[in-house]
Amino acid sequence: MSALLRAEVIKLRTTRTFVALAAVTVATSLLLAGLVSLLSKSTKESVITDVFTTDTTGLFILVLGIVGIAGEWRHRTIAGSLLAEPRRRRFLAAKTLAYAVAGMALSLVVSVSVALLGSAILAARDLPLPDLGDLIVQIGHNALAAALLGAWGVVLGALVRNQVVAIVGVLLASFVIEPLLLGLAPEIARFGPFVALPTAAQDVRAADIGFENVTFAAPAIAALLMLAWIGAAFAAGAALLRRRDLV
Amino acid sequence: MPRGRRAATIGGVIVTAESLTKRYGGRSVVDGLTFAARPGRVTGFLGPNGSGKTTTLRMLLGLVRPDAGVAGFDGRPYERLARPTTRVGALLEDASFHPGRSGRNHLRVLAAAGRHPECRVDELLARVGLTEAAGRRVKGYSLGMRQRLAIAAALLGDPDALVLDEPANGLDPPGIRWMRDLLRAEAARGRAVLVSSHLLAEMAQMADDLIVIADGRLRASGPIEELLRGADGPVTRVRSADDGRLVALLRDRGVDVRANGGGVLHAHGVAPELVGQIAAEHRVALAELGAVSRSLEDAFLELTGGAA
Repeated sequence: MSALLRAEVIKLRTTRTFVALAAVTVATSLLLAGLVSLLSKSTKESVITDVFTTDTTGLFILVLGIVGIAGEWRHRTIAGSLLAEPRRRRFLAAKTLAYAVAGMALSLVVSVSVALLGSAILAARDLPLPDLGDLIVQIGHNALAAALLGAWGVVLGALVRNQVVAIVGVLLASFVIEPLLLGLAPEIARFGPFVALPTAAQDVRAADIGFENVTFAAPAIAALLMLAWIGAAFAAGAALLRRRDLV
Repeated sequence: MPRGRRAATIGGVIVTAESLTKRYGGRSVVDGLTFAARPGRVTGFLGPNGSGKTTTLRMLLGLVRPDAGVAGFDGRPYERLARPTTRVGALLEDASFHPGRSGRNHLRVLAAAGRHPECRVDELLARVGLTEAAGRRVKGYSLGMRQRLAIAAALLGDPDALVLDEPANGLDPPGIRWMRDLLRAEAARGRAVLVSSHLLAEMAQMADDLIVIADGRLRASGPIEELLRGADGPVTRVRSADDGRLVALLRDRGVDVRANGGGVLHAHGVAPELVGQIAAEHRVALAELGAVSRSLEDAFLELTGGAA
């Protein structure tokens, strides 16, 4: 499995899509952190959520995960990949794990950069800084959410296969459908895999993202529920992949 | 396991298909196909367009699931081979690459996945003549360069068998010659080389054995000389000063003799040596004597019912 993981990481690192999206992730996260640090009047209690959860890795690694597997079909590289590893479930598992690791690594880079920038601006404005321990825990939560979304992107891409349809579908689910459901049917939508569970795994409360009447699960529970979603989609995606003829 | 011992356990056959069948929408694309490609031989896989060659090769490689029958290497399906790219190197007809990845990085990915040493990447790039272009993105490669990269990918694991679908596609004449020499060299090293191609003249120069299919069914298989000889055996072209007498003498020996125009006779089922011997015994002077060589194209068209 380590050889396959290594191959997937090389694949990820050797395309411009990854470099471009990673750069956009870092830039948008730092921009958000910089603006919030400059414009907000955070208190000791709110500063972590206000400034140090502005890591946008989740969204980008979700898209990258979709591109990572759906792109194999789009560029017809799937046959070569399956010649190298004909056990298809194992191939999909390696890719899923690789994007989880990539999400975690990118998030750590982004979160540490955000922490440095945010702390510098807050200190310059004489605003309260978070405790180092709390900051480290938050960076860990950010990385956990990004890892889950990286894996989620791959398994969704394995299910949908068409890159454009998958990305548009995920954006609709993330920005329209699930937010609407959080307003209309919060008891169901709080278990949603696009907004509710990743946000909860990041240890951000529903009220902090504008849903006052929703209670998200605790981060550990949210991560487990997210893993259940990923596991179910992985099983379905792997079954589809195993049955599919590569003509 | 040492290579020699492994070869010994397979009884001289490394690539096999038995009763291989594939149907799409009720139509048989491959129908009960059985063949073998032996180590140390280049086996040409011929068939008209749409005859099921690519589907067959993809079934061999575990990319398409057969509806019936089995295919494999050393009697094992591709997907059950340990480190398959060290056993089988494959080139698919539509070899595809991520357009944004360089040739070197493409091979690095495959080397990592197959657990091949990274030094093989530069070795193979040099062998296929892509060292200078290795850092360029594949989308800037010509068709011939892509084909060379695909051949490098197939050779990355120094495999025991090669399965190549139309490897000459996109290659210029020097490239085709290079590919032919390469495949001959790989066979000489003991590899089983199974290669499909629509270039019959090329196949005639390269292949030791042939498998001919049409409509998904096996039409003929065996050494290329046997297939070129045809079902009636050898045909001898002969011209003499006394055709009538020679025809009578040959027919007395049970030889099927037919006039072929211009005073030329074709004696079917006998080699020139026997015709010459009969003529000499009866003092019939010969003006011409030789074997009629059937081209691979003739044999192919005959075997496949003239389908192009």
